Amino acid sequence: MKINAKDLASGIFLLVLAALGLWLNTDHTLGSARRMGPGYMPMLVFGLEFCFGLIVLGIAFFSGPDSLEKWTKLDFVTLAIAIAVTLVAYPLLAAVPGLESNWYALGISSTIGLFILAVSPGWRVLALVLAGMNIFGVLLDAGGLFLAIAAMVVVAAFADKDHRPLGVVGCVVFLIALCWWVFIYELDIRVNIWPTF
Amino acid sequence: MELLLSNLAHGFGVAMSFDNLLFALLGALIGTAIGVLPGIGPVATISLLLPITFGQPATTAIIMLAGIYYGAQYGGSTTAILLNLPGEVSSVVTTLEGYKMARNGRAGAALTIAAVGSFFAGSVATLLVAASGPLLTQVALSFGPADYFSLMLLGLIISAVLAQGSVVKSIAMVTLGVALGLVGTDVQTGQQRFTFGVPELSDGLNFAAMAMGVFGIAEIILNLEKPEVRSVLTAKVGSLMLTREEWKRATPSVLRGTIIGSALGILPGGGASLASFGSYMMERKMSKGRHEFGNGAIEGVAGPEAANNAAAQTSFIPLLTLGIPSNAVMALMVGALIIQGIQPGPRMVESQPDLFWGLICSMWIGNLMLLVINLPMIGMWVKLLQVPYKYMYPAILTFCAIGVYSINNNVFDVYSTVFFGILGYVFNKLKMEPAPLLVGFVLGPMMEEHLRRAMLLSRGDPYIFIDFANRPISATLLVICALTLGLMLSPALRKKKEAAMAE
Repeated sequence: MKINAKDLASGIFLLVLAALGLWLNTDHTLGSARRMGPGYMPMLVFGLEFCFGLIVLGIAFFSGPDSLEKWTKLDFVTLAIAIAVTLVAYPLLAAVPGLESNWYALGISSTIGLFILAVSPGWRVLALVLAGMNIFGVLLDAGGLFLAIAAMVVVAAFADKDHRPLGVVGCVVFLIALCWWVFIYELDIRVNIWPTF
Repeated sequence: MELLLSNLAHGFGVAMSFDNLLFALLGALIGTAIGVLPGIGPVATISLLLPITFGQPATTAIIMLAGIYYGAQYGGSTTAILLNLPGEVSSVVTTLEGYKMARNGRAGAALTIAAVGSFFAGSVATLLVAASGPLLTQVALSFGPADYFSLMLLGLIISAVLAQGSVVKSIAMVTLGVALGLVGTDVQTGQQRFTFGVPELSDGLNFAAMAMGVFGIAEIILNLEKPEVRSVLTAKVGSLMLTREEWKRATPSVLRGTIIGSALGILPGGGASLASFGSYMMERKMSKGRHEFGNGAIEGVAGPEAANNAAAQTSFIPLLTLGIPSNAVMALMVGALIIQGIQPGPRMVESQPDLFWGLICSMWIGNLMLLVINLPMIGMWVKLLQVPYKYMYPAILTFCAIGVYSINNNVFDVYSTVFFGILGYVFNKLKMEPAPLLVGFVLGPMMEEHLRRAMLLSRGDPYIFIDFANRPISATLLVICALTLGLMLSPALRKKKEAAMAE
């Protein structure tokens, strides 16, 4: 058997998404072909998506071999724990007063999940780059632009083994200066610059 | 003809204003820089800079973004010739002959013909846009909703067929893009669709967040995962002058490249990388120096470089006349226009003459600037190649984060970018091409609108789309759709495409 694992996974991905879309679409009125309701186009599109999912799935059995990258046991474990912790942390954090607004719960819980993911070397680059961006989102309102940039750059810098502390500090200073000039001085966007705890 | 001249004069008036000149230069500079640097392309850069353009007038914004796209075509050749690394996808084929020329001590000549060829092709293609724009607009004004729908369908299908990799998967990606475009408020009934009660989603998924995530952020992660290969510059640039013999050989190639590039640029789904590839194939078969291919034939640089720049200009034609983006970069342009409150379409030539003619004239001015930026200042761009990626990616990340936040002053958009970053990473690992997704996302809502209107007019009878007697345009377009799909299913042609893409 020459199974194309990439196509197989793509097919399943498409099928799951299409099925989810069709299921969510049951809330919308279909209408008729003459007077299409809000559910008509989604029905067509997700129906088509489902068909393509099936075709891709079928092709997968003949177009290989093209295997996915090997996942280590640690990759599986960290991914499972990261998703679980994020899902548990979100409702808990959303119940804390002060965190229910501004998407704090979403940002903090997914950042925690990403840090757990970073334990495994296979996910480290992905997790740290994205965690850096998440932290920017979490810190921006209360911490101000400069603190948010600094935190993001420091976290994301860990994604590259070659970074040295002095280089990172240089990066932070340069980017803060550049962003102040472009976004605050020239474009004048509405954002806190300094912390307002 | 006289009208064309007076329109062009008007356009030059717009393009020569201080602000527009400044931003054309800025776009050309940024474009060259990202063209020179491998690992960051025009799609990521334009999505990164989308939010920054909101504060500017629409004309200035589009002039700058266009400059980035064609500027990247100039810059890409520099890296290809000097380092044997494609700075852009569209200069992959330039590495084949260009680097060989550099090793033969003719790097300077290769750089010169790349820039001069690009300039010539760009000038011709710009004229073509100016001449064909108003003509095509006349045709487009007679389009009914059914014709529009069929045209968009054709655009989607061709953009999927011409994308790299499996055709079925690319079409599935287009469909996925259309599906993502459904999120938000239904225009006709006001009902919320797929918003999960999130108020931020009622206007639909954020276009900039999606483009930045799928292209910008995912690209950073993928670049960091593979170890950096940056060979040291070994070849000397040498004299920039071409010998008489080289001019003689390169001129017909530039002409052929201009023609094939202009044609492939107009095609929906076409664009710079397809054009340079097509031209390379043609030169290898047709040029006088074809026996020298593989040993540094100047035709292999002149043709593709002219072609990719010609295509970068002419791919604006479907956008400016029909409002239909032919590739991912043009999809971003539509996004930029819509955010500015301009609906791209056939009425743009009349309702936005400043934008239409100003953009065309600034393209020519921009090409002239690029000639100067690239040739005498080549040393500066070579230095840029020495900046390691570890200092570049924090900057890209920071610009993404602030840029996407500043669109709505809402951190939700920052988290959506993260989400789309993960999605883009998964797409890459599964070999699902993300560019058709973006085109589908932009065209999806327009297609729904036209489908509804067409069906309302026909009282629910789908025959309206294939009615040759009353709606010949729509029927013809659908026949082309069917033919395109049929051709791709034939095994012989598929093999040919696979072989072509593999080289």
